[in-house]
Amino acid sequence: MPDEPPPFLGTWRRVYIAVLIYLCVIIAAAYLFTRAFQ
Amino acid sequence: MRPLDWIVLITSLVSIVLYGLYRGRGSNTVDRYLLAGKTMPWYAMALSIIATQASAVTFISTTGQSYVDGMRFVQAYFGLPIAMIVICATVVPLFQKANIYTAYEYLERRFDSKTRALASAIFLCQRGLSAGLTLYAPAIVLSVILGWPERTTTMLMGTMVITYTVLGGIKAVQWSDVQQMGIIFLGLVMALVAVIVLMPPSVSFGDAMFLAGKAGRLNAVTTHFDWNDRFNIWSGLIGSTFLFLSYFGCDQSQVQRYLTGRSIAQSKLSLLFTAVVKIPMQFFILFIGAMVFVFYLFVQPPVLFQRAELSRIEQAGAFQPVAEQYNRAFEDRRQAALALVEAHHTRDSAAVGRRIAEYRAAQKEIDGARTAAAKLVESTGGEKDFTDTNYIFLSFVTRHLPAGLVGLIIAVIFAAAMSASSGEINSLATVTVVDLYRRYVRRKASDHHYLAASRWATLFWGIYAVTFAGWGKRLGSLIVAVNVVGSLFYGSLLGCFVLALAFRRVGGTATFIGMLAGEAAIFSAFLFTGMSYLWYNVIGCVVVVGTALAITYLAPGATATTPGMRQPV
Repeated sequence: MPDEPPPFLGTWRRVYIAVLIYLCVIIAAAYLFTRAFQ
Repeated sequence: MRPLDWIVLITSLVSIVLYGLYRGRGSNTVDRYLLAGKTMPWYAMALSIIATQASAVTFISTTGQSYVDGMRFVQAYFGLPIAMIVICATVVPLFQKANIYTAYEYLERRFDSKTRALASAIFLCQRGLSAGLTLYAPAIVLSVILGWPERTTTMLMGTMVITYTVLGGIKAVQWSDVQQMGIIFLGLVMALVAVIVLMPPSVSFGDAMFLAGKAGRLNAVTTHFDWNDRFNIWSGLIGSTFLFLSYFGCDQSQVQRYLTGRSIAQSKLSLLFTAVVKIPMQFFILFIGAMVFVFYLFVQPPVLFQRAELSRIEQAGAFQPVAEQYNRAFEDRRQAALALVEAHHTRDSAAVGRRIAEYRAAQKEIDGARTAAAKLVESTGGEKDFTDTNYIFLSFVTRHLPAGLVGLIIAVIFAAAMSASSGEINSLATVTVVDLYRRYVRRKASDHHYLAASRWATLFWGIYAVTFAGWGKRLGSLIVAVNVVGSLFYGSLLGCFVLALAFRRVGGTATFIGMLAGEAAIFSAFLFTGMSYLWYNVIGCVVVVGTALAITYLAPGATATTPGMRQPV
């Protein structure tokens, strides 16, 4: 079964980096949410 | 439950079973029955993965947990995207190219048969234990709502799940998961809308957030480090990464989902989609619990949410002072909450500070009264370490939501339980047939024979799950119990796969001994320390890898693999 490129961002490496950036944004947002309502 | 609720509930349940049977038709070979003939698109696999992981426990217990402890639990999912990336880059291409049915088949190709057998046994123990818990959660629902015995509910649930899982195989399981996720998303959104609409007119959504925050219910991130603290950002990022690496990389109930993909890219996309969706989804569920907390600032909740135990302790003489303390504290808290909202509106920071102190003092009084009532349950012959966390959300649903919505929320709980349970039963049967029966009992038989064996194994594990569900009552907060049970075994499995993928010189015997040492270390941590369960996965993995490497390099003779054991599967 051959590996195929992802349907967006060109390479899987770029997709992984995008997911990591997303994680950082989510954690930062959750942290700010906590601080805002503490 | 009103007639409209029954109509919604029955329609939802019947449609799940019928849709599963419809989608599962044509599963007449082992490949189609266990791997859906490798035809599944990414979105169906992703929704199936999310549905399998989000059991009824997620909705019953997580909402209750944020009601009493805030939203800290969301941090337990911070490691998920990291784990998914690692799995996509390593395990998915390897497993897909190996053309295997189970993750443990790969271990025999890499190590030997005894390592495969041990990993399969660990999986069967761990997943077998949680299979009962998965069915037990909705049994609580109907026992509370309808007064049915939990056993009856478990039987009903089990029968529905077994029907479409036995007949349709993994195709039925995955497509019914997709439908179940639709019901779950709809139910969650409706529940949040309902709780916000039911707030007093003087309390806006912003006020509700403010009140929840000041009571510590919106504490999504805690940054201090403590080994014994279950949920903080460090245990979330490190501990849960190991937990999810184990869960999605070594647990057949998840591996089997993405093995059904029509290509490696489809399998990777399904996992990455799950990584992106899961944290917001968990946040959303916890947020509902926090809003239920705010709702109950203005509508007096019972001192205990478990009706049967409450009715019992009401007869005790010691209950009266507890009830009086609770009633007084509730009124104080209600007044303090209204005063706090008013001070917040006027932007008077000195007044806000004073009101917050009063509000929190009243909350402490309420917590004290609830603790006293829980102790009364114990002292009058009730359950030891009694907790009513699992009853909070359902109690709110049945007492305050309108007709139709109650049925929908109950259908959500059922759908979640059925999707998780069907996935578990299906994967348990797959490991039983592929890793044990076909490997050790009947090595050469027809496809038809193994298909029949798979159906019988599915039936066996379905009945086993129903039977084991009867033990669920003895466990505490269900969501934690499920994760603790998993963490007792996952670390060793993860260590085994790390050795397989990253250390080519390590042989089967060293890995086997490493896994036993890993299990010993995890059980020691569980029995003799108060460490958070998220760390068990780290400990288990490190001990397995460390022990196997030590044996490999310090006693190389001991690592020699018996040639006859490295047979192709």
